[in-house]
Amino acid sequence: MSIIQIESLKKTYRETEVEVHAVNGIDLSFEAGEFAAIVGPSGSGKTTLLNLIGGLDSPTEGKIVINNTNISNLSASQIIDFRLWNIGFVFQAYNLIPVLTAKENVEFIMHLQGRKKQEREQRTKDLLTSVGLGNRLNSRPSQLSGGQQQRVAVARALASKPKFVLADEPTANLDSKSTENLLDIMEKLNREENITFIFSTHDARVVKKAHRVITIEDGKVVSDERK
Amino acid sequence: MANINLQMAWRNIWRNKLRSSVVIAAITVGLFGGLAASGIMKGMVMDMIDNALENTVSHIQIHDEHFIDNSEVVFLMKNSNILVQKINSEPEVEAVCERTKAFGMASTASKALGVMINGIEPDKEKKVTKIYTKLTDSLSSYFTTEKKNRILISQKLADKLNAKVKSKIILTFQDYDGNLTGASFKVEGIFKTQNAMFDEQNVFVRKKDLDRLLNMPANTSHEIAVLLKDYHKTPEVVDKLKKITSYHIEAWNKIDPYLELTTSLTGFMLLIFMTVILLALGFAIVNTMLMVILERTKELGMIMAIGMNKRKVFIMIMQETTLLTLTGGILGILVSIIFITYFGKAGIDISGVAQGIEALGYSSVMYPQLSLTDYLQVIVMVLLTGIISSIFPTIRAIKMKPAEAVRMD
Ligand SMILES: Nc1ncnc2c1ncn2[C@@H]1O[C@H](COP(=O)(O)OP(=O)(O)O)[C@@H](O)[C@H]1O
Ligand SMILES: [Mg+2]
Repeated sequence: MSIIQIESLKKTYRETEVEVHAVNGIDLSFEAGEFAAIVGPSGSGKTTLLNLIGGLDSPTEGKIVINNTNISNLSASQIIDFRLWNIGFVFQAYNLIPVLTAKENVEFIMHLQGRKKQEREQRTKDLLTSVGLGNRLNSRPSQLSGGQQQRVAVARALASKPKFVLADEPTANLDSKSTENLLDIMEKLNREENITFIFSTHDARVVKKAHRVITIEDGKVVSDERK
Repeated sequence: MANINLQMAWRNIWRNKLRSSVVIAAITVGLFGGLAASGIMKGMVMDMIDNALENTVSHIQIHDEHFIDNSEVVFLMKNSNILVQKINSEPEVEAVCERTKAFGMASTASKALGVMINGIEPDKEKKVTKIYTKLTDSLSSYFTTEKKNRILISQKLADKLNAKVKSKIILTFQDYDGNLTGASFKVEGIFKTQNAMFDEQNVFVRKKDLDRLLNMPANTSHEIAVLLKDYHKTPEVVDKLKKITSYHIEAWNKIDPYLELTTSLTGFMLLIFMTVILLALGFAIVNTMLMVILERTKELGMIMAIGMNKRKVFIMIMQETTLLTLTGGILGILVSIIFITYFGKAGIDISGVAQGIEALGYSSVMYPQLSLTDYLQVIVMVLLTGIISSIFPTIRAIKMKPAEAVRMD
């Protein structure tokens, strides 16, 4: 059974007189354990689609069912809680709270969940170690490179034990070495811990690593290939 | 949660060191200004009240009811000596004295002025009021000779009448039967209290001299003054005395309603001062926090996107605002405590800059003071300012749409 079911999804932005169909009728489903890339040129609707799946935005039409919950039926405060417990997020930038250290950033989301101190600390250490930052626990984001920051963000996204992780162009601001490194870590987590990743990109090197590539153009899926 | 939240709030405050320092400094200075001014005012007022009670008013006074409105010699209290004895046996009472009072003219060759002539029993009066400690001229004495018709006048009156110790002063007044009478008094001493108005209007003679001249019936007087061991007990003692006598009993705050008014006014002034100052500071705080929210749009959007609910965002911003406000508040209060404690002992001499302040009944050396309650009240007000100031910025923050905040463009 799929963890995410998307049916006839549409999102239309109305700016003055012009209507923009950012997502224009998408049907998709994702299984647990996928490592899927959403690919498309800039403006094709990747961010809009991920924001809809993540419950950050609400669709104009269609529905998204996550683990048997139609997220359009959730109230504004329910959806925040739903995100906290079910979805891990990695954004392109501004992922981390600058005044908190790497360790505190990862712990922060578990604070929000009200997890116990001992669990928080153990999990934080484990996660930061698994993204290769076991020695940077007490560094502030400003003391970390872009790639390291994104790895902290991945650790943070996993800390809440989500059903899946959404990553919107996580490598867009990274050099090719960091890009490869981040993707390797994500893939390892996918392989070893069966973490579901759905990420967007327009970087060919990233696309290569994906196990499933969904190409969208003008808000529509034009191809959906599994490797 | 509390711990990391406060840490986060504290670190967030110092993200913009200059801006936060300016806000904190403004709060510190504002509070210090308000508290120091209030403390000085309160110190002056309390000093004035202490002086007034010690030197002249005492804690409780008893008169014939009519004497209050119309100080005529005929409105006297009979058997006042017995009443004095009864009052003296009350445990709360420190001392009691009785006085004969007559309004009259004091004149010398150069001038004549209207005065209240207080006929006192020097030894008993000594225990109730401190006039005897207020003698200025080195030749002054306090009814030490047994000779008849001696008088104490104030420095102020002495200057106006052009009189000195040993000068003769003619007192003219109406006696008990309504006949105009008078006598010559020799100045025995010159006094000066902090209350220039009191000084100008009052002279002191022996009660037995005045009684004889007035033709007063035996064992009568116009005024009984009571000094208590603890003036906070005044209301209870007033109630007790009401059972003993039907004459009119007044507590110090009613004897001189100005004292009562000033006391309650100082408390009220602190409130007004602080409200105005904190209101102004509140605007600065709101403005700062709005800037903070604007700067952190992306960050706040991200935090909400990953699952921080509105209640927690609200608390987060409120904690930061309150912490910022409280930092300035505590600094301001600390500086004020140091200032008020130091100068409360050392005193601030303002005679150089405020000539004539003594004429208003205030002392020219100020001893600022504030009570613990005053400080606590201000801390609560600062806390409220922080909380109230955070409401508007927080509403701004939680209205943000995370989807827009996390978009890259
Ligand atoms: N808030 C918005 N208001 C109006 N148009 C928007 C808004 N967000 C996105 N769009 C438009 O929707 C389309 C899809 O954008 P987006 O999902 O960001 O694409 P991608 O992430 O693939 O670059 C674009 O044409 C973009 O201009
Ligand atoms: Mg995008």
